[in-house]
Amino acid sequence: MVGFSTQPYGIQSMLKDGHRHMSGLDEAVLKNIDACKQLSTITRTSLGPNGMNKMVINHLDKLFVTNDAATIVNELEVQHPAAKLLVLAGKAQQEEIGDGANLTVSFAGELLQNAEELIRMGLHPSEIIIGYTKAINKTIEILEELVEEGSQTMNVRDKDDVISRMRSAVASKQFGQEDILCPLIAEACIQVCPKNPVNFNVDNVRVAKLVGGALHDSVVVRGLVLKNDAVGTIKKAENAKVAVFVGGVDTTATETKGTVLIHNANQLENYAKTEEAKVEELIKAVADSGAKVIVSGAAVGEMALHFCERYKLMVLKISSKFELRRFCRTTGAVALLKLSQPSADDLGYVDSISVEEIGGARVTIVKNEQGGNSVSTLVLRGSTDSILDDLERAVDDGVNTYRAMCRDSRIVPGAAATEIELAKRLKEFSFKETGLDQYGIAKFAESFEMIPKTLAENAGLNAIEIISSLYAEHASGNTKVGIDLEEGVCKDASTVRIWDLHITKFFALKYAADAACTVLRVDQIIMAKPAGGPKPQQQGGMDED
Amino acid sequence: MSIKVLNPNAEVLNKSHALHMNINAAKGLQDVLKTNLGPKGTIKMLVGGAGDIKLTKDGNILLKEMQIQSPTAIMIARTAVAQDDTSGDGTTSTVIFIGELMKQSERYIDEGMHPRVLVDGFEIAKRATLVFLEKFKTLVVMGDEPDKEILKMVARTTLRTKLYEALADQLTEIVVNGVLCIRKPEEPIDLFMVEIMHMRHKFDVDTRLIEGLVLDHGSRHPDMKRRAENCHILTCNVSLEYEKSEINAGFFYSSAEQRESMVAAERRSVDERIQKIIDLKDKVCAGNEDNFVIINQKGIDPPSLDILARAGIIALRRAKRRNMERLVLACGGEAVNSVDDLTPECLGWAGLVYEHVLGEEKYTFVENVKNPHSCTILIKGPNDHTIAQIKDAIRDGLRAVKNTIEDESVVLGAGAFEVAARQYLVNEVKKTVKGRAQLGVEAFADALLAIPKILAENSGLDTQDAIIELTINLFFTGRTRQGKCGWTQY
Repeated sequence: MVGFSTQPYGIQSMLKDGHRHMSGLDEAVLKNIDACKQLSTITRTSLGPNGMNKMVINHLDKLFVTNDAATIVNELEVQHPAAKLLVLAGKAQQEEIGDGANLTVSFAGELLQNAEELIRMGLHPSEIIIGYTKAINKTIEILEELVEEGSQTMNVRDKDDVISRMRSAVASKQFGQEDILCPLIAEACIQVCPKNPVNFNVDNVRVAKLVGGALHDSVVVRGLVLKNDAVGTIKKAENAKVAVFVGGVDTTATETKGTVLIHNANQLENYAKTEEAKVEELIKAVADSGAKVIVSGAAVGEMALHFCERYKLMVLKISSKFELRRFCRTTGAVALLKLSQPSADDLGYVDSISVEEIGGARVTIVKNEQGGNSVSTLVLRGSTDSILDDLERAVDDGVNTYRAMCRDSRIVPGAAATEIELAKRLKEFSFKETGLDQYGIAKFAESFEMIPKTLAENAGLNAIEIISSLYAEHASGNTKVGIDLEEGVCKDASTVRIWDLHITKFFALKYAADAACTVLRVDQIIMAKPAGGPKPQQQGGMDED
Repeated sequence: MSIKVLNPNAEVLNKSHALHMNINAAKGLQDVLKTNLGPKGTIKMLVGGAGDIKLTKDGNILLKEMQIQSPTAIMIARTAVAQDDTSGDGTTSTVIFIGELMKQSERYIDEGMHPRVLVDGFEIAKRATLVFLEKFKTLVVMGDEPDKEILKMVARTTLRTKLYEALADQLTEIVVNGVLCIRKPEEPIDLFMVEIMHMRHKFDVDTRLIEGLVLDHGSRHPDMKRRAENCHILTCNVSLEYEKSEINAGFFYSSAEQRESMVAAERRSVDERIQKIIDLKDKVCAGNEDNFVIINQKGIDPPSLDILARAGIIALRRAKRRNMERLVLACGGEAVNSVDDLTPECLGWAGLVYEHVLGEEKYTFVENVKNPHSCTILIKGPNDHTIAQIKDAIRDGLRAVKNTIEDESVVLGAGAFEVAARQYLVNEVKKTVKGRAQLGVEAFADALLAIPKILAENSGLDTQDAIIELTINLFFTGRTRQGKCGWTQY
């Protein structure tokens, strides 16, 4: 402990060794802003269809090649507390919508960067916060007005409608391949869309990644694709009834420890026989009920397997509880706990179930075209694991977008048209405000320019030219004009059919503004000494699963 | 020094050195908390050892999380914790007042005054201030129908010092309604009956009050209903799973048939218990569309869940103990410990029971209950630190409302009381005191001004102007505030 007499005045003296304490504008606020800026510069170059990929190697030495911001910031393990707030905002967006995390992080970074300029001009952070809060409320109002008319209602089962709304989300992850991916994703989603689309469950669209082939070989399977082989020798069944047993297909056992009491050799022989008879009886009962396929949630006993073969039953083992539940949902079977004769209602049905070899891996394909089926699987093909992982993330974003459009199908023009319009209208709004808030609002409006700017920069276009011509178009009333990145000119987003979901934008902007305001509100940071013991990295590893 | 002889490693500070160190510590702590005070206070970010983030404006939380080491500062921090224990709020004011007292005394001590005399003066002033507080407070009679407006004002004042305005105003309504919901005549309010549940979801302004209960787990069987209306609720603490006997038992069998029968026997007692519950269900739900929900504190094993699912019963296992108590208060009925004599009277009732899945987490909502005496505040927020911040604020808000109902008195806030008390001390009390203790009273009176001063400072106003204007007008604002900050004097 430090000697009494040498103790300095102030907070440092009162805290334990290793604490760090930062306060005030220069030390806390500006440093925080700086850290957030750094983070957003990382994500920014990945924004949009022409965004660059990042290669991230996390603490487990796993390689990620992606331009999905949610993955990047997740794997970066950001330590700086303020930058972490941005990461959390990105994560919240990812959990809420499943897309638009990049917009959240980059936009929040831009807001903070502009706030820094205001602070240097002499504005107090609290005034900036008031301005930003007013601006985000106004933004949301304007966003409502920009919604494309007639988009409130959509037929979520119409493939073209779905694709038009999904395209920009998928294109930003896999540019150039959206025309192959979107129809697949849309088909998979539409297949499993329940009667009330609001209840659409993302979990019902599965992705099976199989190395080999190319994206063109990807298909949608109405049913499940299990990445394992059948247990027995029977590998194929069609129009079959299915019985599902959670507890495994084996001889029954008591909870209390049991011991077989045998007095002589005769009894030993007899015991084995009764055992056999019992198993045979059970398997026969299952076979009699009409089932042709048995699915077990746990181990399949040797003896049971033997009788299954004899009664020509196909046996599958699915050890994951969730996978088993999904299987039940696909087939409409009721999972039975113990091996017993299933009633007719408990049996499920499949059109076909077969083991196939795709790209060196044996997979079991369960197909069920009937109405009750609520699971579909997208079989993705690609040459390497990283490509497949990245494809999967694009599919996830697409599926999440579908879920979002089931809840709220309103759309706004994409390709930065909305952002420029928001910037334009917010600026007009700021002129009407009196007082210091107007500077905050004006900067908020300016922040929107970041998006077309970045989109253009990433595509190798001249950003300044593009932005000025966009403003010119919007000033003359063409509110739907955005950037056509392929040709490098401004075009009406409705003619090139680039739409963004309103709900994605809404949440992304709101989360970004919230995060930026939170960072600005903090004027003092007190950091404890990093704890010893298990490294925080290990925790990160646990979070992943 | 003599102690150095006894223990050469000991560190000693004497007389004025010791005093100065203490004063410095108090001032240091005041400096830290100063910017927190009031609705315009700033937020501090605390980063824990594991890199976890906490954002707070609450003095108590700050003191708790800061890991203070200086002995004097710890002492002051404890006083603040005591303040929190008795009233749930006002920690920042306490610490600031202590710091200011020390600052005032420093001046006199430097002039050569003995600390003893100052303490005498403080004692007199403290007593006088408490007497003045009694006179100053405004009585609000609660009676059977508490005045909601007063409660809201009190809650709002507390919440606004912890959260930003828009959210605070929204929570005010929630907090007041929450306390009124669990309030029973003639009984002290038990704030534990307000369950606080959080979901990481949507925005902080989506926080709401649920008249009913939210449990942070769901039914464990895929075939059970996810949503049910008109539910009879059985709250029980009965084990519905096979339990191993205490003694070391074993089965001996010599054929598979024998074993089968033992398997059946093992489960029989559990199955019987389940059958009783199903019988009750059939009795109450016969001939109508009603549903039946079991919320069990103990476990329910998969075979039992399966039987219950087939009987169309929703079953939740391993509910928290505190929720059992709340369930009965919310839904009515009684919690049963045995299924032997179940009657329909044991059952509670809820209009709607549904499950909400959020990623991996499941939540069960029990809503639309009749005449609830327990409720849930469901906090929503996009990330953990927002949720923690709201949670702390709600806790303080609830305490403030509770104190108002029980204490039935409020005082004016926004520095009005402090200025008034100071005038009283200077104009009336000081004259009655003889000798040098007068100076102590004066120091105490001046220290009181610290609160309005800092409030003004944090709001960006000119401190001196504000104080002078206040003294002239005496009461310049009429916002009310929950009474009795038990200032503990150091």
